Amino acid sequence: MSELSVDTRELEEVVLLYPHGFINAHTVRLFEGEIQKALDRRQYNIVVSCGGLKYIASAGLGALMGVIEEVRTNGGDIRIADLNETVRNIFEILGFNHLYRIFPSELEAILSFREGGETGTPRA
Amino acid sequence: MRRAPRPGLVLRVPSRTEFLALVRDVTRRMAEVAGFDPAQAEPLALAVDEAVTNVIEHAYAGAGDRAIELRYWDEADDLRIDVVDDGATVDPRSIPQVDLERYASERRTGGLGMHLMARIMDSVTFRRAARRNVCCLVKRKPAALPAGGRRP
Repeated sequence: MSELSVDTRELEEVVLLYPHGFINAHTVRLFEGEIQKALDRRQYNIVVSCGGLKYIASAGLGALMGVIEEVRTNGGDIRIADLNETVRNIFEILGFNHLYRIFPSELEAILSFREGGETGTPRA
Repeated sequence: MRRAPRPGLVLRVPSRTEFLALVRDVTRRMAEVAGFDPAQAEPLALAVDEAVTNVIEHAYAGAGDRAIELRYWDEADDLRIDVVDDGATVDPRSIPQVDLERYASERRTGGLGMHLMARIMDSVTFRRAARRNVCCLVKRKPAALPAGGRRP
């Protein structure tokens, strides 16, 4: 069984990524590749919906970090949804919850792009 | 004559990232055997994943034909894991401190793994022993924590 699969879906102006499994140094290229495909299509409103994500190591967090400036410079954002407790804990340990907007559900993350386009780091 | 203490488990894996899932599973189980609950064991497995990834990427520069040894010590108050390699010695002081805002603006991603290890474990130390590099990760057991003590 593959350790990671990443499904994608487009909903109006938002690209949804669904990583399923584990993101670590072994699987991160697949995750990076799916993000890059969105950027290549100049789609900068991205929701990473993590309901199927069991585990993320620094390689996966680095993949998000490596593109966030490009995404925000182009008026978009990467927003995170539906984290399990393990992954949320990892995000908080690294302080990613201060750098990315995190939503309890995918729907809330999608709707946040209709709020008027606020991008960048979350409000305290 | 007192015998030197021996690790409870020794695992030797090739220096390839496809073995990270195995390392993670073994570490999580060892942590549970040592008394950590599953939610506490998961970050420990992540810290060891990061240590092994560091060895593959830095000490062995991506070479997949080397070996990494993991020694698990289930001690009275601590779980200790030694990650041992015979590759290039990497000075942990050369790894930059993580500043997320600056990282994002400079598109940098290095150092996150070391930062995670330090935040998860109670102690992360590096030493040379018998011409090998030893990264020693220590986590105090839950029962050994004082009331209100630090947890993962």
